[in-house]
Amino acid sequence: MSRLALELADGKTKYRPGEAVEGVAFWELDEQPRSVEVRLFWRTQGKGTVDVEVVQSLPEGSRGPRDRRPFRFVLPPGPYSVSGTLVSIVWGVELVTEPSGESASAEITVSPTGEEIRLGKVIGR
Amino acid sequence: MRARDNPFRSDRILSLRYRLQGGSWEGLLGRFEELGRRAAIVGPQGSGKTTLLEDLAPHFRRGGYRVRDLRLDTETPRFHESFLDDFSRTLGSRDLILFDGAEQLGRRAWFRFLRRSRTAGGLIATLHRPGRLPTLWATRTSPELLERLVEQILGDRARDVRFLTSRLYEKHGGNLREALRELYDVYAAVNEESGRSGDVSPLPAAPREQGAMARGPCC
Repeated sequence: MSRLALELADGKTKYRPGEAVEGVAFWELDEQPRSVEVRLFWRTQGKGTVDVEVVQSLPEGSRGPRDRRPFRFVLPPGPYSVSGTLVSIVWGVELVTEPSGESASAEITVSPTGEEIRLGKVIGR
Repeated sequence: MRARDNPFRSDRILSLRYRLQGGSWEGLLGRFEELGRRAAIVGPQGSGKTTLLEDLAPHFRRGGYRVRDLRLDTETPRFHESFLDDFSRTLGSRDLILFDGAEQLGRRAWFRFLRRSRTAGGLIATLHRPGRLPTLWATRTSPELLERLVEQILGDRARDVRFLTSRLYEKHGGNLREALRELYDVYAAVNEESGRSGDVSPLPAAPREQGAMARGPCC
């Protein structure tokens, strides 16, 4: 059975824009992967269409089925991690292997305070 | 309640897979062969046609087909002429077209599409009504199916909304997608009202929920 994991440096999950997200990706796969990729991404969650943007990625074409890979991503200015009633923006780092399509991910928050920003309630007439 | 904590958020809904009630994947694939590999999934909006089409794709890939996805909807109701020309030139006997939203094409455009796709090894189109292709599978919904999907999403907490599901089923004319979208609003409103955030809270008793359901999204 395959095992994939992501470890963030010092267990840190709260970041400010411009900071570096560092860590190590580990994998133990049942078969030789065609590719292994570590990605920094954000996605929306909520009532509407899901938007996903891969901000940076570190593709690897020639890795063994058991290996580790340190990673380092510098965060862009935005968007911030936010949550309202209708939509949330969620940041994360993920490890994806092909062709099995197996993955592991670690969630982070990105904002000037490092905390998720809560959107206020909009009251209509 | 944060959108990400709402159990009826769209990514959670999209993760629900098609329930092939009264059939099997082997049977469905066998029937596709019997129909000459040109067939339709027929059903009303929100009945799972797209989900079934998505769920068929891996079966065909395992069978050695190259799956070619096409999609039309009300926002993009037709293909650019050059797109179909280019697309048809790349088709061969191992290509299988999964065409979602084929009802968007008018009669003439539909026959043009059929001519251009004849070199493909197979075609499955989703349609709202039978007639354009032999029906491979008719998607149907029921209040019980909605209830089971809600159970899959909420687990034991589904009992809190059981009284609501048949009402929402009727309100949306059997469109499960819309019923589940309304449950998103119900959940958000009730949790907002109770001042809770983070973990999903169960819904309150029936009389309050009626009020919550009547309200729209709040932000």
